[in-house]
Amino acid sequence: MKRFFFLLLALISAGLFVRVAYLVLASPPDPAFNAPNHEAIVDHLNHLFRQAAYSITWAIQLGYLAWLGLKWRAEKQMDGRRKN
Amino acid sequence: MKKTAIGLYAAIVVALLAWGYYQAIYVAPEDAMQGEIFRIIYYHVPSFATCFFCFAVSLAGSIGFLAFRRSQPDRAQMADAWALAGAEIGVVFCTVGLTTGPLWARRAWGMWWTWDARLTTTLVLWLIYVSYLLLRRFAAGPQMQTLAAVLGIFGAIDVPIVYMANRWWRTQHPAPVFGGGDNSGMDPTMVGALMWNLLAWFLWGILILILRYRVERQHQKVAEREAQEALRA
Repeated sequence: MKRFFFLLLALISAGLFVRVAYLVLASPPDPAFNAPNHEAIVDHLNHLFRQAAYSITWAIQLGYLAWLGLKWRAEKQMDGRRKN
Repeated sequence: MKKTAIGLYAAIVVALLAWGYYQAIYVAPEDAMQGEIFRIIYYHVPSFATCFFCFAVSLAGSIGFLAFRRSQPDRAQMADAWALAGAEIGVVFCTVGLTTGPLWARRAWGMWWTWDARLTTTLVLWLIYVSYLLLRRFAAGPQMQTLAAVLGIFGAIDVPIVYMANRWWRTQHPAPVFGGGDNSGMDPTMVGALMWNLLAWFLWGILILILRYRVERQHQKVAEREAQEALRA
């Protein structure tokens, strides 16, 4: 059950990394200053990059938590085996 | 009892993180100059604040290890576990800061990175502690912990340099928001959102720091038992 939880965290983390890559790589180029909808595109780009920053924060934190959980489980199992 | 306390603490931290997110996105006003991209500050600054705290824990653990390694070996092992936990969690938060920063810079400056004093010293800090973790992972022998402790102390010297970099030198990085002179400061609503996120990420950092410490202590106990069995055999 715990292993499933940590694997789920790792999966969410991987998903967030993919999302960040998509948000950054698929974002439209910076608009020209005289473009008619310049402000709207800049706002949209700011929104995408803010989302990317928040997503990568959670991707790193949850990825680390998943790794730590799996490591903790492995240490416990090793200790249990040694005791037996 | 201990498990319940940690579970309760974790629940409070998650609630605070959700509250911090709400404050950052829905309560804090949009910056007049930068627009929505400014909201990255609510995750970027708390990440570095927690990172500095974790490296301070690592410094204290490293000094403790060197102080107790001959007289009180068990205490030295505990200090070593704190040193490792602090360095590792510090690297995690530093990585967050070093990735959210360029995402902001791409929109605010039009470039991902520049070799100014604040950014360069931060990258050096990250590299020092990554090398610390690599040393712990791949070096073997009785001197490994001592070498790691010395590197941990050496690395911590960079923390005040990073903090002071945009005060000592003229940098591309924005001037300090707090304690940066007469022109520094923020709108009170923005300060509120920043403080909630600072609190939430700091408590989150402490939570994973404690968990990492416990995992390392478990690892030390297994290694010690293995060594004793080997001696008996």
